[in-house]
Amino acid sequence: MHIQIEEIAKAYGTTAALHPVSLAIPSGALVALLGPSGSGKTTLLRILGGLEFPSSGRVLLEGADAAGLTVQERRAGFVFQSYALFRHMTVFENIAYGLRARSRLSRPPAGEITRRVTNLLELIQLPEIGGRYPSQLSGGQRQRVALARALAIEPRMLLLDEPFGALDARVRRELRAGLREIHDATGLTSIFVTHDQEEAMELADLVVVMSMGRIEQIGRPIDIRSNPATEFVREFVS
Amino acid sequence: MPSMLIRRSAMPGFNLAMGITVTMLSVIVILPIMALLMRGLVWGPAEIWATVSSERVRGALFLSFRLSVLAALFNLVFGVMLAWILVRYRFPGKRLIDAAVDLPFALPTAVAGIALTTLYAPNGLFGGIAADMGLRIAYTQAGIFVALVFVGLPFVTRTVQPVIAEIEHEVEEASASLGASRLTTLRRVILPMLMPAALTGFALALARSVGEYGSVIFIAGNIPNRTEIAPLLIVIRLEEFNYNAAAAIGIAMLLISFLMLFAINLIQIWSRRRIGYV
Amino acid sequence: MSDLIAFRNPTEESPWARRLLIGTVVSILSLLLFAPLFVVFSEALSRGWMTAVESLGQRDAWQAIRLTLTVAAISVPMNAVFGLAAAWAITKFDFRGKAFLITLIDLPFSVSPVVAGLCLVLLLGANSTLGGMLVGAGVPIIFALPGVVLATVFVSFPFVARELIPVMIEQGRAEEEAALTLGASGWRVFRTVTLPNIRWALLYGVLLCNARAMGEFGAVAVVSGRIRGETATMPITIEMMYNEYLSVAAFTLAAVLALLALMTLALKSILEWYHADALAATRRH
Repeated sequence: MHIQIEEIAKAYGTTAALHPVSLAIPSGALVALLGPSGSGKTTLLRILGGLEFPSSGRVLLEGADAAGLTVQERRAGFVFQSYALFRHMTVFENIAYGLRARSRLSRPPAGEITRRVTNLLELIQLPEIGGRYPSQLSGGQRQRVALARALAIEPRMLLLDEPFGALDARVRRELRAGLREIHDATGLTSIFVTHDQEEAMELADLVVVMSMGRIEQIGRPIDIRSNPATEFVREFVS
Repeated sequence: MPSMLIRRSAMPGFNLAMGITVTMLSVIVILPIMALLMRGLVWGPAEIWATVSSERVRGALFLSFRLSVLAALFNLVFGVMLAWILVRYRFPGKRLIDAAVDLPFALPTAVAGIALTTLYAPNGLFGGIAADMGLRIAYTQAGIFVALVFVGLPFVTRTVQPVIAEIEHEVEEASASLGASRLTTLRRVILPMLMPAALTGFALALARSVGEYGSVIFIAGNIPNRTEIAPLLIVIRLEEFNYNAAAAIGIAMLLISFLMLFAINLIQIWSRRRIGYV
Repeated sequence: MSDLIAFRNPTEESPWARRLLIGTVVSILSLLLFAPLFVVFSEALSRGWMTAVESLGQRDAWQAIRLTLTVAAISVPMNAVFGLAAAWAITKFDFRGKAFLITLIDLPFSVSPVVAGLCLVLLLGANSTLGGMLVGAGVPIIFALPGVVLATVFVSFPFVARELIPVMIEQGRAEEEAALTLGASGWRVFRTVTLPNIRWALLYGVLLCNARAMGEFGAVAVVSGRIRGETATMPITIEMMYNEYLSVAAFTLAAVLALLALMTLALKSILEWYHADALAATRRH
């Protein structure tokens, strides 16, 4: 899905979290929002997901204004930094949640839900863990379950907030490759937030460098490395 | 002191602290309870059973238990609602209400008893309104229910409040982003998370209500087989110097309390095993 | 801006749902909590201030107040000492049977006050072996002040320990161990390291314990024998006056206890607002 961000700004009271920023994301791209904490990258992601409302500006999804769409209607597969798995549900129930939450008319039959959840468990290469509870999983497994849960609703895009933030270095590298594979397999427009420049450069097709609520530079990793637009970018990616 | 049982520790004062603890616990709590059980043992299980299963005692025990369950169920629903608005909403007077929730803990039961009776008696403020509609509250089982709701009011709220405060916002956002309506999120995500704490509060309220005496006897009317609660029957038997019968009823009530304690522990073990917190 | 229409935070209920919920809860609280509290004072003052104050000056009322204060003054310190000792043993040492000990300490909360009184009567009443000996020795327990104290200590037994244990678990043992390595004696460590750390939790527990001690009815009703001037505490006297249709006198005495309850709640709220950190573990419990 093509995403067009036009002059989006966000203020909390008098403090501006996001100055007007504009950005076009081509369909099927894997985009990194890169920046230090407080740079406004998570705010931008949450606005895209419908979790927050911009103070001004608009978001066009496939050319249509998203302002009227609630979170529920937006169908953005959102992966939270803490994963936000439902602790009282098994992995299977977590992944099936979005499908079961649909109204009776649009809900797939039980057999279809089971089939889809099973496929997703295979996609994240954890076919055996459907019956476990989140507290019984490792950090890396939780992250992949959160990803599968987001994919289950057949999202129009994939939004990931610091998807590898809470993991150790080895698991991080493994899951990075996993995300790339899943992105390529589904063809979803995917946007992830990170403060780790190596992660952004290695994984993304397009990197958006942010600082203090502004976009410093947009470009392919190679362009940003070889041609930093500002002093901030030069220091941040070095 | 069983100091052999403790791992060697550099911390001083074990013998003194343990000595005070065990001595006071024995003298004040354990010995008296043993005295009750001994009395029952000497009198004989058959006699106890005969007393407890007599119509009046059975009726009183059943009445205490049934109305306590109803009152605790009311408090289960109401307590979760109250805890929710206290944690999540902002409205004028919120702090006052938060402080007032503990009133049933702080207000002596006899005071609550005469106040509720005055209010809900046929010539009282609320009782009068009810009487106009043809309803009687005080001196009926409805009156006992009101008193037991009052007594058990804080339990569910106080156990659920901290759990609500600790729910991560992201969990609710995740549910919404997966397409769930607010009602679905509340029903399928929030309520199950609150359930273990709410059930603990329910069991605590129930345990408290079953044994409640002070706030109930004024409003109950105390008619045998109709509005006579089990603790009152103990008092009556004691006033008749019928210690054996009093002990029999006391043992039955103690048994109910132990079952309740057991249930609370089961709930907590079960929820801790499943979701890693209480 | 037209697109600012009706964005609702996805983790909030709609405004009308909130209002409905708040309205329902406040109505029920008014019926069940606020109205009874109001009635206590309005009934006490129904014949004017003078009548109320005079009724407090009568011998029965005055003696009841003195007795209740005496009972609280004995039983609350006993429970404070017990709470400190139990919390110290449980949180500073590892031993077998700890969980069982905690269950035993909590036991009085699940025993009906009337059953508690009954237990004491069966153990120490004049017709029991032990009680008979004590009466023979001229120290009656049941139907006398010691019985009232024992019953009060029984029902308020867990309060202090229950508040202290979670707080002391959270604080761990490191500070005490540090003080010990610096050469402080055990008593000194307790006084200068432990006590300052737990003082708010201790006060909190003592407050709740005191409220329960002054207001206890069921257990005291059983062991006291309701002897005017000797064992009739304030709650017992309220019952006697109410049954004798001395409404103003009963409600005036009740109003005194209600004021005490309100003071307890106010102090408790103040502690919770200003010392939330020190009590955090307690609140989560």
